[in-house]
Amino acid sequence: MIPRYQRILFWSLVGCILLMGAFMLRGCREAHRRLTALNDVNPIAAPTTAAKEEVALYIASDADATIRSVRSEVALPQDPSLRARTLLEQLLAQYSQPDSAHRLQSGPSVDDVFFVTDTSRANAGKVILVNLRGSFADNHPSGIEVEQLTLASIIGTLHAAFPEFTEVRFLVDGQPRPTLSGHASLDQSYPLADTTIRPPIPSEAATQP
Amino acid sequence: MFARYNRSHTPQTVTQIRKYILTLVMFALVSGTRSLPAQAQGTPHPLPLAGGAVQPAPPPKPLPAFYRNLIVLDPAHGGRDNGAQLSNSSVEKDVTLAFAQRLRPALIAQGFTVVTTRDSDPSDELTTDQRAGTANHVRPLACIVIHAAATGSGVHIVSSPLQPVDTKTYGRALAWNKAQASVVAMSLRLANEAGLTLEAAHLPVLMIRASVPPVDNLTCPAIAVELAPLKQSSSKETLATDPGYQQRVAAAIAEGVASFRTHNAPPPQATQGAGARPGAAQ
Repeated sequence: MIPRYQRILFWSLVGCILLMGAFMLRGCREAHRRLTALNDVNPIAAPTTAAKEEVALYIASDADATIRSVRSEVALPQDPSLRARTLLEQLLAQYSQPDSAHRLQSGPSVDDVFFVTDTSRANAGKVILVNLRGSFADNHPSGIEVEQLTLASIIGTLHAAFPEFTEVRFLVDGQPRPTLSGHASLDQSYPLADTTIRPPIPSEAATQP
Repeated sequence: MFARYNRSHTPQTVTQIRKYILTLVMFALVSGTRSLPAQAQGTPHPLPLAGGAVQPAPPPKPLPAFYRNLIVLDPAHGGRDNGAQLSNSSVEKDVTLAFAQRLRPALIAQGFTVVTTRDSDPSDELTTDQRAGTANHVRPLACIVIHAAATGSGVHIVSSPLQPVDTKTYGRALAWNKAQASVVAMSLRLANEAGLTLEAAHLPVLMIRASVPPVDNLTCPAIAVELAPLKQSSSKETLATDPGYQQRVAAAIAEGVASFRTHNAPPPQATQGAGARPGAAQ
């Protein structure tokens, strides 16, 4: 026979547990509601229906260190800065596919793209400034070949879409960075050019001075 | 009497000596200033001969050449900079150091003297500028920067993407980030030689041009060697950490560098009468 005071204590403890559980559940719901309320759901730009257009994407392959131009249909906005950003996001998203020959981690990659005309120079250089996300650079595979192919792929694609520009510079989270992921240099400007690459084959003829 | 003579004449004698020394100093200064511009500009100026004849001065000292038997190895990364994560247990800085320690005896066996930028894993890593400074200071025949990667396949031989410049028209002063431009033609030949010997050793090789610190800052012929996994079939793969694979690559590269020396920096006696060759060596 269980004494009465023990039964009262037991049921009191059970009641406390249930009350605490209900309190925690309510706290979790409140916290969730507060966090979701912080998300900015306001639209940045007016929604427009962008027609699909054909663009050239310069696709890299790690196996043979080549870059080839591939025609692709992409819906692009009209604003040049947004257009370049969308184009690069589209290009780098290709590399997160499981069958990609140049595998990169998925996720947002480009923060902003700016178009700058440097009037201080004699031949007024037109420069594209690509601001990459820090998460993209930090998670990029480390190696000379893989980093150089990513840069060459971006450069070739930008050159095909914006042929009037002459140079491209890279920033990461708005700051200059020495290398993309420890190897390929990012602290210099690259000339915008056709980067279709096919590595040369060593030859006896090229050994003589 | 003697004491009186000294007291009466000493001040005059001292004054005369002072005047004499002052005249000599003035003469030396004037003659030295006149000859300075010619020496400073490095232009030949006539030297007087004993018989009054004038002989032209020897031509200015040529640009310093490199040491034909000296190689600088730069195992990349080190210290807090681990480089790439090659597997669960190995990082790039350890693999580059291990490969440098295999390449070093292979080069010594070919008759080279080898200088490395690091022989251990230091607590404070050298910056790429410091590594370039070390290499440029000793004027080697070639600089080899060693990297390793978990992506790609085979051995990647990387040379600078800079366009060659002529130092005669460009001047002796080069921008730090374009210092390699003056020797990039030789770097491409070095890459080609290394590629040929790697192919002969049945190792897949890819020739890449990329801007990788500190290659663009080096004034010697330079390549970066990146060891990537060796894919023999779809399932079998030899990682860059494999000692046997590293040894094969080291032997092939050492042979390639020796071949580069033969073609680009022949021994001094071979150059007698053959005219100046690129990279006339010490």
